[in-house]
This record gives sequence, structure tokens and C-alpha cells, in this order.
Amino acid sequence: MTRASHRVATVLAALAASLLFLFLTAPVARLVAAGGAEGVSSLGVDRELRDALLLTALTATTATILGALGGTPLAYLLARHRFRGHALVAALLDLPLLIPHPVAGIALLLTLGRATPVGHALLAFGLRVAGSPTGIVCAMLFVSAPLYLSAARETFARIDPRYEAVARTLGDAPWRAFRRVTLPLGHRGLIAACIVMWARAVSEFGAIVILTYNPKVASVLSYERFTSYGLAQALPVAAVLALLALVPLIALRALRADVVT
Amino acid sequence: MIEVNGLSVVAGGFALIDVSFAVAAGGYGVVIGPAGAGKTTLLEAIAGVRRLRAGRVRLGTSDVTATPAEQRDVGLVYQQAFLFPHLSVEANVAYGATDPAFAAAVARRFGVDALATRPVSALSGGERQLVALARALARRPSVLLLDEPFSALDPRRRAQARHEVRALHRELSLTILQVTHDFSEAGLLGDVAILLDGGRVLQVGRPDVVFRQPATPYVAEFLGAENIFAGSITRLGDGVSAFQTDGLTLYALGDAESGAGYAVLRAEEVVLSTDRQHSSARNVFWGQVTEIATLGPLTRVTVDVAGTPLVAALTTRSAEDLSLTVGSDVVATFKAMAVHLC
Repeated sequence: MTRASHRVATVLAALAASLLFLFLTAPVARLVAAGGAEGVSSLGVDRELRDALLLTALTATTATILGALGGTPLAYLLARHRFRGHALVAALLDLPLLIPHPVAGIALLLTLGRATPVGHALLAFGLRVAGSPTGIVCAMLFVSAPLYLSAARETFARIDPRYEAVARTLGDAPWRAFRRVTLPLGHRGLIAACIVMWARAVSEFGAIVILTYNPKVASVLSYERFTSYGLAQALPVAAVLALLALVPLIALRALRADVVT
Repeated sequence: MIEVNGLSVVAGGFALIDVSFAVAAGGYGVVIGPAGAGKTTLLEAIAGVRRLRAGRVRLGTSDVTATPAEQRDVGLVYQQAFLFPHLSVEANVAYGATDPAFAAAVARRFGVDALATRPVSALSGGERQLVALARALARRPSVLLLDEPFSALDPRRRAQARHEVRALHRELSLTILQVTHDFSEAGLLGDVAILLDGGRVLQVGRPDVVFRQPATPYVAEFLGAENIFAGSITRLGDGVSAFQTDGLTLYALGDAESGAGYAVLRAEEVVLSTDRQHSSARNVFWGQVTEIATLGPLTRVTVDVAGTPLVAALTTRSAEDLSLTVGSDVVATFKAMAVHLC
């Protein structure tokens, strides 16, 4: 490559990178600039927005806790053991990431809806899925747990199993070695995985709107205000949601910056 | 005691196959083998952190094949130490200890008590190995498995650490199995040498026997024997055999089977002189020096004896005293008992 063509390639690469950067950041910046201040100030007076945000935070947190409880042993199993069907199990667990989210909502409705055996059984225990916060949690869990699994699996895969081997020879049973060695070594990665899952759960719309339109989470509320009242009414809600997304993002960056290699 | 019978382990694309040996109670076994021989996998299988495909493991008087690692009373020290990075040095040493006073005493003996409050990330490779040794020994295991535990230590601290391990071995009546690449270490420490390659045991025996009487030419070569000749063996009776190779006849002690075989002669067994001297040695050959390689205090001299190269190892001072140069005529002498036929 000549010096001139090298310079041209560098300029083109910088241009492409800059355009993508602007494309990704400009809409959010524009949204926050247009509705951020009004959105934050409306938190004091707009009870529906407050309730939607609170419901979003609570359901996302519940989904994240459930995802971490079930996902941690599953991620550990997939990271540490090779078994027949390992690749298939891993692929199946990634599937919710790849299907359109309204389709995910329909699939959940078909499995957990009132007319289904599972939904019926849950109703017998007083647990209604469709049209309830439980449905929101289910939708969030379905679409965001694969992100937790993937990040947690990567975290465990990075921890050399010989740390656990040493702990075992020092008297720890497998669970105790996991608690005393693996968890402390992987806790940053697992917290990061939780943050990613929580952020994804907060931003979910497609699956939730199929399974539980009411009570409304923030994403559904912004959609409803846009379709019913227009852009001006939707702007404050959308801007607050965008600002809310910054919280996990900042937490994630802080966590990664603090990671000791 | 460590007793391994027909042990087979599959680890990824690697397999240990039908490994059997025993180290007596209170003994010191040394596993020697090239990289990728399966030495670490063997230690892990004995420690109980590797699933066995076949075979049995006995530690002390118990068959521990089905016993989980935490109940085997075994200490395991990896070459890379694997200190827990979220704990201080002191907490690492105390991790599995049941007696804090003993753990502190062990830390003192390995000189890591001064590092107690240091984070693991601030330690050198050698310091990590010393802490890992202290951590494993602080639990007072009956069996200690060491995977090249002194490799990152400088010579002075290596000697000290060896001394402490040896002392604790005696004091605690430990049975130790240690992996090493260092042949002199194997001879220095071991009661039993286990030679491993490609996942299989090539030879088991006292280190001096394994070194002087390698079971195969491959073992001889691996153990650094520089004179390995292919030829034919003829039994002469009275415990003496003759070995013929390329016009050269060597005499060896022992009643080896007649027929095709190999003669192994360690370079340090060959004595060079500039004239024939009266001695009891059965093997005396005139030859011409073809190569002189000096490495510090040791000089390796290759002598052409009737077309067969013979390597002799002597001190550089001796080589200088003999005024050896390429082309010099020399007499190579070695005893029949120095020649091992296999």
C-alpha cells in the first residue's frame, strides 16, 4: 500500500466511524435535549409516568434476580462441563435473543396464558401471568436472561478451574469452593451481567405489550402516549427512559474501569 | 502411601493410559517427563479433581478412588501457584488450615510471614510458589502433590525451599509426589522416579537405577545419556556380555539376552587420557577428538573411536590439563558396569 492510499484509507475509516458514532448518539442526545428537562420535571406531577417507571424498575429488578438465581448455575454448568448436547443447549438458550420480541410475547402467551395448562395451574395458586406484573416479569426474563447467561458463562470460563481444584484439596466441598473462590473471583463479571440484563429488561417493549398491556411499564406508556396523543406527549416519557438507560450504562463503565486484571 | 493401579484419565484430547506405580508411606516420589507427558493430569487425578476413566487410587491404607478431593487429605501445589487473588497472603496460607499456630509456623519456615499483609498481585513468581507451598502444608496433609513447585525460585531460595520441604516431609511423615524437569532434583529428592511420556509410564524405579539403567533407548535419551548405540549383544558368561556396534566391541556387566539391543553409556562415565594407563576398566579405546564443547565448568568432548562417536564429559580444568584440541589422540576408558544394555 502506498503512502497516499494508506492516507485515503485512514480518512475513509475515520469518516465511517464518525458517521456511525453520530448515528448512534445523535437521536438519543436530540431526544434528551428536547424532552429531558420536561420529563424530569413532570416526574413530580405525572403520577402515571411515576408509576410506570416504578413498575418498570421493580419488574426489571425481579426479572434480574430470577435470571441470576437460575442463570448462575446454568452458566457455570455450561462454562465448566462438556456434555452430550452441550452445543444444542447453548444455542437454545440464545434463541430468545434472535426471535422478534412480539413473537416472544406470543410464545409466552401460548405457554403461560390463562387458557394454557401452565397458566391454569398458576391461576390455581393465585398467580395470573397475562395482564399482570407477573407477565411483565416473565416477558423481561425471557428476552433478557440470555444476556445474563452469556455474560455469566464468559465470566466463569475466564476463571481457571484450578483455583477450585486447589480449594477442594484445601478442604472445600464443591459448593463451598464455589462460594469462597469462584464467586469472589467472578463477582464483578456477574454484577456486570446483572446490569446488562436489567438494562435490557427496562428497554423491553414488544414481548411485554403482547403479554401485559396494563399495568403499563414506561416503554408501553411512551408508545401509548405517542399513538394516542402525539410526539409532544410522548417526548417527556421517552426522554426519561433514555436518561434511565444511562444509569446502568454508567454503572457498567465504572465496574469495568475498576476491574483489576 | 500413594498407590496407583491401571489409572486412565481423558482430559480434552489428552489421555493418561494404564498408569501404575507406588510410593511407599513416607516416601518421596518424583515424576519426570517432557512437557505434555501428563504429569499435572496425573497429580490432579490422584488429588481427586480429575475424573478417572479407569483404575484405582490408594492413599495411605484407603482406596480413595470414589472419595471426593476435599476428603482425601491431600495437598496440591501447582507450578503457577494459583493463589486466591481476592485474599491476602496470610489468608491464603490460612485458607485450609485447621491449626492457625501451625499455619503461622509453616509460613515462617518458608519465609512468607513477612509478606502476610501483601496482596497476591504484588508477589513475584517465586514468592507465589513459596506461599502456595505454605498454604498446602499448613493443612498438614498426609500426601503432598507438587507440580514443579520450585521452578520460579532463584537458586538460593530453591535450595532453602527444598530443604524445608524435605524437613517437613520427615517431621510430618508426609508422602510426597513431585513433578520435575530437573534430573538432579529428582536424584536429590526422590526415593522413586516415575518416568512418564505420552500419558504412559515408561519406567519406575529408584532414581539412580532409572538413570543408570534406563529401560529403553528413548528413556536413556530423555534422561540425557549421550552415548546410545544400536548393535548386538552376546552373553559371555560370568555375568559379562559383549556388545558389538560398527566395529566397536564394548563389555558390559549383566546377563542381557543375546541378540539385537542397545548399549547406554553416560558421558560422565567416560575417562579420557592422553596415554594408555593401567586400570581395571574393561573398555579401553584409542580415538581422535572431533569436537570440544565447553559450557562453564563442564566440557563435552566427542571422540571418534573406529568411526563411532563417543561423548565424554569432563571438567573444563581437566580438559585444559590434557591440552585437548580437535584432532588430538586420546584414550577413552570406562568400566563394564558403566555400560547398560537394554
